[in-house]
Amino acid sequence: MISPGILVILLLGMTALAYYIGLRRSVAVAGNPAAVRALHSRPPYYGMLTALWCGLPALIIFAGWQAFESTVITHFVVAALPPELRELSPAQLSLVLNDIKNLNSGNILSGQINPAIQAAADHYRRLQGIANIALAVVVLAVAISAVAVLRSRINKHLRARNHVERIILWVLGASSTVAIFTTIGIVLSVLYEAIRFFKAVPVTEFLFGLQWSPQMAIRSDQVGASGAFGAIPVFAGTLLISGIAMAVAVPIGLMAAIYMSEYAGKRFRAVSKPLMEILAGIPTVVYGFFAALVVAPMIRNLGQTVGLDVSSESALAAGLVMGIMIIPFVSSLSDDMINAVPQSLRDGAYGLGATKSETIKQVVLPAALPGIVGGVLLAVSRAIGETMIVVMAAGLTANLTLNPFKTVTTVTVQIVTLLVGDQEFDSPKTLAAFALGLLLFLITLGLNIIALKVVRKYREQYE
Amino acid sequence: MLRKRVAQWVAAGFFIAGSAGLVAADAARDYVSIVGSSTVYPFATVVAEQFGKTTAFKTPKIESTGSGGGFKLFCAGVGVQHPDITNASRRMKPTEFEMCSDNGVKDILEVKIGYDGIVVANSKKSPQLKLTRKEVYLALAKQIPDPKGGEKVIDNPYKTWKEINPALPATKIEMLGPPPTSGTRDAFVELVMEAGADSYGWVKGLAKSDKNRYKAIAHTVREDGAYIEAGENDNLIVQKLDANPDAMGIFGFSFLDQNVDKIQGAMVDGVAPTFEAIADGSYPVSRPLFFYVKKAHVGQIPGIKEYLGEFTSEKAWGDDGYLADKGLIPMPENERKQFSSDVKTLKSLSIGQLK
Amino acid sequence: MNKELKTIDIVNRGLERRYRAERRFRRLGLGAIVISLAFLSILFASIFMNGRGVVFQSRIELDVFFDPELFSEGDVGRQDYPHLVKTALYNMFPEVSGRSAKRSLYALVSSGAAFQLRAMVLEDRSLIGKTLPIWVPADDDVDMLLKGHLERESGRLSEQQLAWIDQLISQGRLEKRFNTAFFTSGDSREPELAGIWGAVCGSFFTLVVTLVLSFPIGVASATYLEEFAPRNRWTDLIEVNINNLAAVPSIVFGLLGLAVFLNGFGMPRSAPIVGGLVLSLMTLPTIIIASRAALQSVPPSIREAALGVGASKMQMILHHVLPLALPGMLTGTIIGMARALGETAPLLMIGMVAFIVDIPAGFTDPSAVLPVQIYLWADSPERAFLERTSAATMALLVFLIAMNGLAVVLRKKFERRW
Repeated sequence: MISPGILVILLLGMTALAYYIGLRRSVAVAGNPAAVRALHSRPPYYGMLTALWCGLPALIIFAGWQAFESTVITHFVVAALPPELRELSPAQLSLVLNDIKNLNSGNILSGQINPAIQAAADHYRRLQGIANIALAVVVLAVAISAVAVLRSRINKHLRARNHVERIILWVLGASSTVAIFTTIGIVLSVLYEAIRFFKAVPVTEFLFGLQWSPQMAIRSDQVGASGAFGAIPVFAGTLLISGIAMAVAVPIGLMAAIYMSEYAGKRFRAVSKPLMEILAGIPTVVYGFFAALVVAPMIRNLGQTVGLDVSSESALAAGLVMGIMIIPFVSSLSDDMINAVPQSLRDGAYGLGATKSETIKQVVLPAALPGIVGGVLLAVSRAIGETMIVVMAAGLTANLTLNPFKTVTTVTVQIVTLLVGDQEFDSPKTLAAFALGLLLFLITLGLNIIALKVVRKYREQYE
Repeated sequence: MLRKRVAQWVAAGFFIAGSAGLVAADAARDYVSIVGSSTVYPFATVVAEQFGKTTAFKTPKIESTGSGGGFKLFCAGVGVQHPDITNASRRMKPTEFEMCSDNGVKDILEVKIGYDGIVVANSKKSPQLKLTRKEVYLALAKQIPDPKGGEKVIDNPYKTWKEINPALPATKIEMLGPPPTSGTRDAFVELVMEAGADSYGWVKGLAKSDKNRYKAIAHTVREDGAYIEAGENDNLIVQKLDANPDAMGIFGFSFLDQNVDKIQGAMVDGVAPTFEAIADGSYPVSRPLFFYVKKAHVGQIPGIKEYLGEFTSEKAWGDDGYLADKGLIPMPENERKQFSSDVKTLKSLSIGQLK
Repeated sequence: MNKELKTIDIVNRGLERRYRAERRFRRLGLGAIVISLAFLSILFASIFMNGRGVVFQSRIELDVFFDPELFSEGDVGRQDYPHLVKTALYNMFPEVSGRSAKRSLYALVSSGAAFQLRAMVLEDRSLIGKTLPIWVPADDDVDMLLKGHLERESGRLSEQQLAWIDQLISQGRLEKRFNTAFFTSGDSREPELAGIWGAVCGSFFTLVVTLVLSFPIGVASATYLEEFAPRNRWTDLIEVNINNLAAVPSIVFGLLGLAVFLNGFGMPRSAPIVGGLVLSLMTLPTIIIASRAALQSVPPSIREAALGVGASKMQMILHHVLPLALPGMLTGTIIGMARALGETAPLLMIGMVAFIVDIPAGFTDPSAVLPVQIYLWADSPERAFLERTSAATMALLVFLIAMNGLAVVLRKKFERRW
């Protein structure tokens, strides 16, 4: 029996083979290796075209088959079940089918083996065997015939390169739609619940309210307890913490990138860059403990010695540590971009008598700007999305303040806490998470549009 | 040469990507799927592990989703893709029961597993506090009845414990506790704050006459920094208390039990939070924990019945059971008998019981 | 005397100041790197100091008699194995009597001892009737005491228990041995039995899916958007949209996964394949943004030269631009994958924040991942989990370094300056 996994491997092997068949054929058509110039395209393109025709349609058929096979087999198995089982509700039936599948795969069972179930399981296994063989036959037949047809079509005038390029272009274009589908999916999966939230809490109160304290009842008999869903303090907190984080990450990251790409020796850079990238991979729980147990008390003590009232949970502690975490976003990407600035630009500046730092500040950095902005953008995004550090070091209380020594909270933290809380899932309290998500999405969208405009304006093409 | 290979690598990557996505098996489920409260999680997992390691069944999968999220998943319907059991740190609500019924989850078995003590603790470097629930209420409520008398409320003026009761230390009120989304907070508010507010006769009267005002006075926790909403990570609270001897924290008994060398529980109404005091009910702050079973899945998903048997056995939830070692406060014996016989007969929950 | 100022004089006069600025700038750069690496080493040191103890685990040697009477009837797998452990302990301390004393004696041994004996008997039935010296795991409190994380007067262990522990140590029956369980088993609620292998496998399966999907799709869409797509409002929209996706909190991707992959396509809960899909959607924007920036930085002269010698646009991009942009793309991938490796929030929604004991064997088995394991252990009351948390973090870092190592080698290979 050919399992789907083996079939896929077989198909990949055939695709590789098809490449060589196409390649050989084109050389053969040309007559001798020296005469390949007479072909419309270079031989590898004929190989690639053959491989694509061999692999793509077969894979599409395979995918379609896999998607429907289970449903079809289940249908047949259910049809053959004794009537008393067949008439169960679909949900109950799914449990019976689970038993059948467990029996098939030799898993442990919930109870005694019922002869009807045993018969159904045998039936299921038989059908699956047939289906697998049929699939293998169909897929391999398609692949082989595609290769055969294409092989016969290969001649000097076949525009293989153009065909291959069109397929590649099509694949590239299709890939770029993934992001759009993701966005649509996100908006749809948040929108419905957000609308339900806005039925309970007016939009204006949510958008312009200055108080965020979702102390609203966990149980319906507690409706009286106060609950305020004004989003402004939460967004202000996000701004404050991300701001502090960026104030740490951008200067350190940028200076590190400049040093690595312009001053440091090859070996120093080869070691320090990957090391710094590890900063982005340390689990945030670790940073959280560090921020809460080392940095926050330090700031508190420092504040007390100069007579400042610092709470034990402060935006500053969370922001500082978060800033360290996102340094690599700025440093690594900027380093790559600075490195990619053509040497001729630097040589030009040196030729005019500029020192190294002057060259960097006035020539290299502006040239690398789009890339640096990209890195900073990613760093901001990461800062907005971080939860663990904030929960542990800055707390969950939403204060409307710009004082970095106070406890504040961020949008993401609120979303996570609300979603995993013990309160009823359909209460406004949980639904507020979706509304926050939607609003954050819209706000970052606006900021991104502005950022795009700004970058466009200052972007320069060098060389 | 290298450059040409890049194109080929990218193409090959695509191919493998496509193929990997396609081989999605429709495997059957042969393990119990459990969701729900993060408070019940440490207890349910002990039982699951014992069950998995001493029987031929697979170890149940237990997700920590929060009680609300747990009910949402549990009530989504009958079928292999839906969980079999949900853990909860509070009772199911009638609306949740209705949501279940609407989705075809009609027969539900309710099992109470024991009690979780909620403690108010501070670092061992500071003296142990002796508090009353009224004092805790006065320290944490957003608005308190006017100390000068009369039936009106004022914003909470207290900054230090000494201002509330001269016998208490002159340290700043600083309480680390769970956020309002937590069942622990809910239970704390009900058992401590409400009881504290009830010590004012006229406030207690409001409970009947003006429910909303009563809740506003008794349930609202202050937001001026004296009560710090910490995350649900109780270990972190313990460590913060250790680092800051002036602060106090609210969390589950099992964390106090594990860290007796660092922190101590405050006496509430003259009783210290010990295992025995919580079990016999003399320590006033404890709440029941539950789990709910989808009856349609019993006998269909392998292992549910046996898991229930393990959970309700004396060696698990008994007075000397392994759950007690983990800090779960056992129910009195007659209650345990009641629930284990309910489990044996798979007694269905009715909406009337929840109201 | 020529009083007229020459240009060179003006330059010379400023030179000192400019050199000073130069040195300052250079020192700032070095300082930035030193600061970052200092933090890295502080974090590393604290993780290492907390986690190193995990390599060893306290074990107690018991002379276990596999009593044939116990196995006389019923299924071998369902016997009272704790009884064997208890009998062995009571035989070692015959003077112990009374229920509570016996209980506290048994508390020195992990509940894993019984599991271990069960596994041994199931493997080899001929053990029944024999007496064997067996090293079984000690309870986590004993382990913490031996490792010095618990004071003797902490109150977790009674005077009597401490005396027994001292006696066992002097008899050479209690010692720290290499902890294989930590590296080979799945999660457990008993710290002494808990291992990371389950989570490592889960992370591996999840990240394979993530990498295999997000790298090719990310590079392809960046290439399309940067090189082929017409410049109009539509592509502006896509660009803004991708930048915006990067800022979407990760838990929202979890909501998306729940709605689309679980409820829409009916994929299994808690499976690495779904986790991988969700994480690849989350990583895509990072890779796309980094890749686009890398493509933009390839100098026009390279493109023009390629076109000039007759390459088609596709050839120019695939053969010349892509290889030059690859280092930047790999950096984006490294950072994106590092984030995917450390992420827990989106996995919460699709059921991967879970207690899973069995080791996952494939892409559809329920599994947890390393950061989830770290998160769950950090939240556990038992003191001994602190050590495991740090050790699991080390495992995650090893995983990360191994993963990045490959990309770094590739990056170096493709990197050049012109």
